[in-house]
Amino acid sequence: MKSDPVYLDYAATTPLDRRVAEAMQACLAEGGTFANPSSIHIAGRASAELVTRARARLADLLGADPNHLIWTSGATEANNLAILGAARFRAHQGRHLVTMLTEHKAVTAPFAALEKEGFEVTWLRPDAGGLLSAEILQAAIRQDTQLVSVMHVNNETGVIQDIGQLGEICRERNVLFHTDAAQSVGKLPLVLSDLPVDLLSLTAHKFYGPQGIGALYIAARPGCHVEPLTFGGGQERGLRPGTLPVHLIEGAGVAAAIAAAQMQEDLAHVTALCAQLMRGLAGIPDLRRNGAAQDTYPGILNVSAAGVEGESLLLGLEPVCVASGSACNSSSGESSAVLRAHGLDDSLAQSAVRFSFGRMTRPADIDFALQQYQCAVQHLRSIAPIVAVSP
Amino acid sequence: MSPIEPYNKTVREYFSHTSHAGDLSRDYAQVRDSAVAESVQGAKIALTVGIEGAIVIEMRFRVWGCPHLIAAAEWLCERQESKPAAALADFPLAEIMRQLSVPVEKTGRILLLEDALKLLVAQD
Repeated sequence: MKSDPVYLDYAATTPLDRRVAEAMQACLAEGGTFANPSSIHIAGRASAELVTRARARLADLLGADPNHLIWTSGATEANNLAILGAARFRAHQGRHLVTMLTEHKAVTAPFAALEKEGFEVTWLRPDAGGLLSAEILQAAIRQDTQLVSVMHVNNETGVIQDIGQLGEICRERNVLFHTDAAQSVGKLPLVLSDLPVDLLSLTAHKFYGPQGIGALYIAARPGCHVEPLTFGGGQERGLRPGTLPVHLIEGAGVAAAIAAAQMQEDLAHVTALCAQLMRGLAGIPDLRRNGAAQDTYPGILNVSAAGVEGESLLLGLEPVCVASGSACNSSSGESSAVLRAHGLDDSLAQSAVRFSFGRMTRPADIDFALQQYQCAVQHLRSIAPIVAVSP
Repeated sequence: MSPIEPYNKTVREYFSHTSHAGDLSRDYAQVRDSAVAESVQGAKIALTVGIEGAIVIEMRFRVWGCPHLIAAAEWLCERQESKPAAALADFPLAEIMRQLSVPVEKTGRILLLEDALKLLVAQD
């Protein structure tokens, strides 16, 4: 019986790339670059230089100007700064905002907070494949709309929104466009200088960098600005004060450089793994893929098995580590709001499993996961009540 | 159980070895069955007992539910076999909660088993 974890939860967090770990260790070791980058002494200047280099590496990955990047603790903070900061900055012009029901909680929660502040939010629903149509966004934008937020790659289904088209609509209407790109940065090509994106959130731990460091991209154009959420020493142009974590920033920079150098290789690898997984799953009856078959990042595959309970499926899958469509062990036991917004009923949403994989995943891992999944689904279906039972 | 280890050894054991899941292996002088479902989270359970001479010879279950409910059903069926059919009326809730370290928020799901047992008893 295999007991070592088979990690297929890359959408939650990726393993640290060995080269990233080595660079971070060099910072943390005795004699490493650890000083406060705001200090003007020689050690501080060495840290500041390292921060500048990391910012340039990240900017290079994004096709952006390094001066347009603000370091944060991760995508959640970047999303909060973008959404709360931009809405408040432009509140004197209007208080209408637009986002989607399928966004990550790091986006929906700040919008919900703004509703309590008196902003009006239009929550858009995607089509059955998870995509937002240009027409629906067009119709949602009003004279007083100030901000639209649509994520690039959905964290549960991998569905890729056409942020170029959606951003263009916003730009034509002089509305700020924010995208949560936590799942796409470092995995899909992005050239922000060519995209109509005003604000973009990212986090390093989704592309083999360390946890605890992310960034917000803020385009340099009129009306595109955010109010700070915290106040202090004036770092990051006063938008995100606090001593910069040099070793984390170094890790993010190295991870960005590696991602830029081997993006096509990584993409080809996950595409092959996804095809392998889909071939194996094809033999299981009454299985549904959640999210559009096209327009999906191949490192994420979300499937629901009819007649199977999600929490039991996760236990049956052990030691394969995947994410479930249910809030296991929570008192609510609610199924995924994202999948329900896709039109799935509670039972199918609850049975959903998200396989997500990446650079370090081996074909043997996929084979093992397939074997476990097939056994677990077959067993749970075999012990389920045959006749329909009404509550 | 802590959120770090949500299932104790007993749950894992009974979840992995559901020898009482399925249908009765043969005909009995008396067969009783019941099925109940929970409206909130959709858990479902069906019980079947084969009785000879007022003794439960064989008890089987089918479940759509969480690992605790599956383990509880297996535990209950194993325990009821070879006992008088009258003992079906005694639902050992406290013992199940303790043996399986069931989180308190799942009490409702475990009580589904009691509802299914009551329906069996009502067929006496």
